[in-house]
Amino acid sequence: MPIIEINHKKVHIQELNKGAEQTVVLIHGMFSNLSIYYFNIAPVLAKKFHVVMYDLKSHGMSERFEDGYDLGNMSSDLIALMDKLQLEKVHLVGYSFGGLIALKTALDYQNRISQLVVMEAPDPQDEKARGIIEQYSKEFLEHYVANFTDTTKVQMGKRQMEKNHRMYEFLFNKTSIKADMIREKYFLSEVNLSEIHIPTLLLYGSDSNCTPTGEWLNDQIPDSQLELISGDHNIPIQEPALIAETIVDFLSKTLTKTLT
Amino acid sequence: MDTLNTTEKLNHEELFTLLKGFITEVIGEEFAEEMDISPESSFTKDLEMDSIEIVSFSEKIKAHFGDQIDFTGWLSSMDLDELINLDLRMIINYIYECQ
Repeated sequence: MPIIEINHKKVHIQELNKGAEQTVVLIHGMFSNLSIYYFNIAPVLAKKFHVVMYDLKSHGMSERFEDGYDLGNMSSDLIALMDKLQLEKVHLVGYSFGGLIALKTALDYQNRISQLVVMEAPDPQDEKARGIIEQYSKEFLEHYVANFTDTTKVQMGKRQMEKNHRMYEFLFNKTSIKADMIREKYFLSEVNLSEIHIPTLLLYGSDSNCTPTGEWLNDQIPDSQLELISGDHNIPIQEPALIAETIVDFLSKTLTKTLT
Repeated sequence: MDTLNTTEKLNHEELFTLLKGFITEVIGEEFAEEMDISPESSFTKDLEMDSIEIVSFSEKIKAHFGDQIDFTGWLSSMDLDELINLDLRMIINYIYECQ
């Protein structure tokens, strides 16, 4: 199991096609883990790119942290990971809260990012989207249920319930995660997104509550394009093959444009 | 570690023992004993493995068998019903055929 140490903490990463010239780093959402990319999306991207997936702090198989869940810290964690893996410049893909981390990283470390893909990033200020943040735990459970259980016949078993319960109890009661999230409420209105001069693909679900945020981001980010995928906030689970192909197309086309 | 040094093909029973060992490492010995793992054990219903645990399990198979088996590729070709019903025997048969 690839575990690397960054700032004296263990981080679980997965890499595919290490020999490829260009790297794509994939950031998962809150209360999820890298498995959202591992089985369907990453293998398609890896036909062309070196793919790096990692578990955010206290998520998946990465080590627990008591604090540093605000976007600034999550973004410097990512840069520390890139430094450790000696990746000077990468394409960045982020989903949901991971999409906000990707935006923050694009703003603060513009020269480290070649192209940006933001999927279903919510506006923390928007009431509906805040609902999603409140329900991030539900999103994780839904992912589990949608992918790995038969909901009509099987309830989540005792071991999984206990495992999930331990994670939520730790994150909600023993870390600064809630306070850090509340502090990010005005993130999108506080930053100047017109300063992002990186080709950006915005992927949103046609039935998602977050789509107005995708439209707004498309107006704000100069070199951006918005594509709607059939589905709701859970498009990476609902349409993984389409998502993977759309990302590969975007990264490849823009690259060709830049080179010619 | 775990890399196969011999080209000898493992039989079904040897594969079961090997995979049972991987599952025990992933879910922990305490739970594995309680679960009574058999070739009929399904990954989601019986063993209650979640997606990140299946990632760990896949990594162990990759580390052991190397390039001769594209386990992740095989899993990603399955639809939801197939994934739900995936049991240990199907994996044993798949690996046996790939060797």
